[in-house]
Amino acid sequence: MLWNPALQVYLPIAEMSVDAFLLVGIGFGVGWLSGLFGVGGGFLLTPLLILVGIPAPVAVASGANQTLGASVSGLIAQWRRGNVDARMGTVLLIGGFIGSVLGVQLFALLRRVGQVDLAVSLFYVIVLGTVGGLMVMESVRAILRRRTAPQRKLHEHFWVHGLPFKMRFRKSRLYISVIPPLLIGGFIGILSAVMGVGGGFMLVPAMIYLLGIPTSVVIGTSLFQVVFVAANVTLLQAVQLGTVDILLTLLLLAGGVAGAQFGAAMGSRLRGEETRALLGLLVLGVALSLLWGLLRPPADLFSSGVAL
Amino acid sequence: MIRALSLLLLLALPARGQEALVAALSQDAVEVTTGFTGAQLMVFGSTDQPIGPGGDEVLVVAQGPNRPVVVRRKVPALGFLWVNGPSARFAEVPGFYFIAGTRPAWQLLPEEQRQRHSLGLDSLRLVSTGARHPRFRAALLDLEKRSGLWVEDTHPVEVAGSRLFHARLPLPAGVPTGDYRVQVLLIRSRQVVARQTLDFRVDRVGTADRIATVAEDQPFLYGIACIFLAALAGWVGSVVFRRS
Repeated sequence: MLWNPALQVYLPIAEMSVDAFLLVGIGFGVGWLSGLFGVGGGFLLTPLLILVGIPAPVAVASGANQTLGASVSGLIAQWRRGNVDARMGTVLLIGGFIGSVLGVQLFALLRRVGQVDLAVSLFYVIVLGTVGGLMVMESVRAILRRRTAPQRKLHEHFWVHGLPFKMRFRKSRLYISVIPPLLIGGFIGILSAVMGVGGGFMLVPAMIYLLGIPTSVVIGTSLFQVVFVAANVTLLQAVQLGTVDILLTLLLLAGGVAGAQFGAAMGSRLRGEETRALLGLLVLGVALSLLWGLLRPPADLFSSGVAL
Repeated sequence: MIRALSLLLLLALPARGQEALVAALSQDAVEVTTGFTGAQLMVFGSTDQPIGPGGDEVLVVAQGPNRPVVVRRKVPALGFLWVNGPSARFAEVPGFYFIAGTRPAWQLLPEEQRQRHSLGLDSLRLVSTGARHPRFRAALLDLEKRSGLWVEDTHPVEVAGSRLFHARLPLPAGVPTGDYRVQVLLIRSRQVVARQTLDFRVDRVGTADRIATVAEDQPFLYGIACIFLAALAGWVGSVVFRRS
């Protein structure tokens, strides 16, 4: 029998037939980039899925589900090395749970009024545009500074250190108020529910620059938050909207986990600033292409969907 | 296969008496598995008088389960941002519609009869709430046709040996599950003189069915299962593909 490169798979929740190799390939590509840059890659995955025709609600819910799977092994590895500040992670997580519950309600509301696609695109354009722009600026500045002046001191005091309800985070060597981590966690939770991302690409800079957590525990602790928030989003989306397609998730993971290992092996050979600049450009690119999708006059003015 | 079936039908004819029209389906169930890419059903039968111009004509109509559909129109908000604007909600829209004849329906039947029996996409009764503009109905027709769920006169009824006919019913991969009804009409001098109704079901089976059923009936358990399966797959994958 001839080998047929197209293997159609019927996705039971999305109720459509898709080429399995295409999904595994997308998973591999996104996994490779996420391994290279050390982020979950959800922000690339969800737009790509929408691009190949998966309905936005299914893409978002299954994207969150895949983010969970892709982050688990990283979390286990970081936990073994003692790089997870469980206390800080739990505070972030409480915020994250509240945020993801709110986010799923918001998503259900948007779906009822028929603006899911617009909202998902807008969230992506605004969040990715801002984050991408900041990352590029910051890394360019870091590259320039490397040539001219010595490094800044690591530990600085920000206005956030003056707030009440202080708590001691031993692993992070911090004594700060719980309000900023709660707010950050909550914000990431909302994004996770609406965009189907883990939020690692925002959480990591927020933890470093806003909270002043040492770099050594940042990745592990953000993975801790990402895994549990993604699990919560998966559960909420499954119960409230019924949009998690496990077959889609598993196909993406099959490619994703392999790609991530190759990407990580390559990433260890790149310098930090260059990696961040590249990641920033990638994030900006996704934002711009989605913005173009919103501004371009649509080829088809009408769209239809099953009424709720 | 068609020949064999037709022959069988011919042999069975005398036993069933001189009926004007006898028709059957090649299968009464379509199974949607995880490998489902669409299916083709055969409607076949015979008449007691020759089919063709001047003689009898055959019309085949198939309809799938109804579902409510919203049609939305994009409008430029603030003059540059394309967002979903006005919408029309159609309460009962057939999830599948197929019509084909030895000739198009509008040539076979008087307009009034064709409208009354909803024969043809333009005579489907589609009641909508919301935006009233007829373009919403036209857009719905266009979208359904493009998805392959509504089919009109693309697969004509073919005739063999002047009294045997068959038609292929193309079911695309996105076909909804549920009960389907096929009507075969025999038309003589612009009148429906005989009709036969045939039913079939489209069902999810195997893994696809189990996943969809659990997700629908026990969403909480399904959600938990998704979490564990994804975590397990991620962990197993990282062990298998570890490069160090």
